[in-house]
Amino acid sequence: MKAKIQVVLCKCCTEIPSVLRLESLSKLASESNNVMSVMTVDAICDGKQLAPVMNDVKQKELDRAVVLACHKKDVSPTLLRAYRRAGVNEFMVELVNIREEVVLPHANEPERAQAKAEAKLRAALARSLMLQPLERQTEEMKTRNVVIIGAGVAGQAAAKEAAKAGAHTVVLEKSGKTLKVPGVVMQHSTLVGAEGYGGNLKLKIRAGEKVESLDAAALVIATGGGWTQLKGSLAKAVKDAVPLYKLNEQVQVDAPIKGPVVVVDSPDPSGKTMAVQDFAWDETLETVVELKKKHPETEIWVVFQEMRAFGLSELVYKEAADAGIKFIRYDKGGVPKADPKNPGVLSVRDFSQGEQLNIRFGTLAFASIPANPDNRLIAEVLRIPMAADGGIRRGSIQRWPVSTPRPGVFVCGSALFPKSREAAEAEGEAAGAMASAFVKRGTIEFGGVVAEVEQEKCSACLTCVRTCPYEAPFIGAAGKAEIRIQACQGCGMCVGICPSKAIELRNYTDDQIMIETRTLLGGDF
Amino acid sequence: MAERRPKIIGFCCERHGMDSAVLAARTGKQFDASVRLVQVPCAGRVDGIHILQALEDGADAVFVLGCLEKNCYYDTGSIEARKRVEYVRQMLAEMGIEKERVEMFNAASTNAWAFPEIVAKMVEVAKKLGPIEEGERR
Repeated sequence: MKAKIQVVLCKCCTEIPSVLRLESLSKLASESNNVMSVMTVDAICDGKQLAPVMNDVKQKELDRAVVLACHKKDVSPTLLRAYRRAGVNEFMVELVNIREEVVLPHANEPERAQAKAEAKLRAALARSLMLQPLERQTEEMKTRNVVIIGAGVAGQAAAKEAAKAGAHTVVLEKSGKTLKVPGVVMQHSTLVGAEGYGGNLKLKIRAGEKVESLDAAALVIATGGGWTQLKGSLAKAVKDAVPLYKLNEQVQVDAPIKGPVVVVDSPDPSGKTMAVQDFAWDETLETVVELKKKHPETEIWVVFQEMRAFGLSELVYKEAADAGIKFIRYDKGGVPKADPKNPGVLSVRDFSQGEQLNIRFGTLAFASIPANPDNRLIAEVLRIPMAADGGIRRGSIQRWPVSTPRPGVFVCGSALFPKSREAAEAEGEAAGAMASAFVKRGTIEFGGVVAEVEQEKCSACLTCVRTCPYEAPFIGAAGKAEIRIQACQGCGMCVGICPSKAIELRNYTDDQIMIETRTLLGGDF
Repeated sequence: MAERRPKIIGFCCERHGMDSAVLAARTGKQFDASVRLVQVPCAGRVDGIHILQALEDGADAVFVLGCLEKNCYYDTGSIEARKRVEYVRQMLAEMGIEKERVEMFNAASTNAWAFPEIVAKMVEVAKKLGPIEEGERR
């Protein structure tokens, strides 16, 4: 069947005609092969103006479209839905960003802009002829369970938030503590295995002695994390440093504490990633104030890079300062150091005075919360990436800050990196809400622009399996790679890397990309 | 005769790469018109053959623009892309073509000045090196 293309030129009110001659673009389009209709509209983003365009599509029974308008993200959802209703597959609509790629940046050179716009139009028409109609598929979720691993601050917040939105929550708690959270609480249980994809996950859970299986639609990781040891150069000199939470425990049980006490704001003050810690200010200040109250004779120093006592912590900060606790600020030029030959002295340059201080200490504490060794196990089971310092790595921060690269698996609280109680709680709520929203959809949608394996060419080299961040490719029963389309996100990384050229990304095939570059290079501007 | 205009192909990822170009345009930055952007879903989609074919079809320089490596939308896409671009550069050097013609860049979608800088850099490279000579091209 011969392709029938509709070309829509958007004026973007008056912006595009002010630089380009739309008549000649329209003439070029109508003279091209397979173009059945050329329309010029004032603004395609205006819903009212879509009606005549769609009527035209229906009348002439067109099957694909090239739209010259602005940035894809600004026009696409409404426009694509309208085309879908009019009977054009949304993957056959080629959107050309003429406004931001041609008109705005080349407004001073209208002749070159015109030539560039024409080349863009030709390239889009060439590419349009090679597009294929694609369908997105849906699959029912078998269960509506939201499983939350960890019942700490973040985990409880996530459970409450998810339950508020109506999801059925299952909380896995490693210890035997009783909890007041909605849903089922499984005590003494840990995650030991997982199969499937977000929406239909099959989990294996060790509860006490036996291993149980559990279906889940979404998963929230709230295992917590942190550091128990000093790192970097300080660790080499000071062997008996205590983490802040240990110091807090000692203060609570009135254990003897050797003074003077120095509290450093980070386990690795000279390190890059852990230079500034804001997670432990409340704990630091509360601990030192309590220590001072119990042992007024103890000398206490707090060495910090940036004081982040905000909100009501400000009052505690004031109380601490009034009680005679000494606060020393340092910066990158004078990080706290200790000499291995003289380990009882911390030398730091006071930022405000510019003086080098040598503080003799009996106890060195550093801001930290207990690390969770489970993170590594969970990351391995779920096949999600870890961050360098022992936490779970989240996906792109723009995408959703509490999501992992796997859809349906969320992460919150200190499992990402150590943070304060309030921040962990807020993240827990966010993750709970995200998980319940994911579950509420009831179906998972997938397909469209996904990778596809040509089985004859595949040599089962496992390159795609290793490359994919979403675990979509796998070696099937035939000994050839296959794509789990429920997991495929359509990035095309496996396509680019396949040494046998056996994988193609639908609607971004090599031919389609190369014809676009060739046509664009054909224009002289 | 007017000065020959360079031809530059830029493979832009749909996420941060394209967004940074769009932001640059929206903030009123002007850049050379000789850059032809080709949108790909992720910088990791760009194959060596796309770059080589573009050079064969008459491009003077090719660049790939992806997300920042630690903040890639598809997690490892721009890291993979950089590896591949390095491979192509090495291949070009073996063929006797200047490897400066092919370059990989990373940009954040909120960074409006990155894109014009990239374009200026590539235009400079293309003007300095000129078109690929017939003898060089296969």
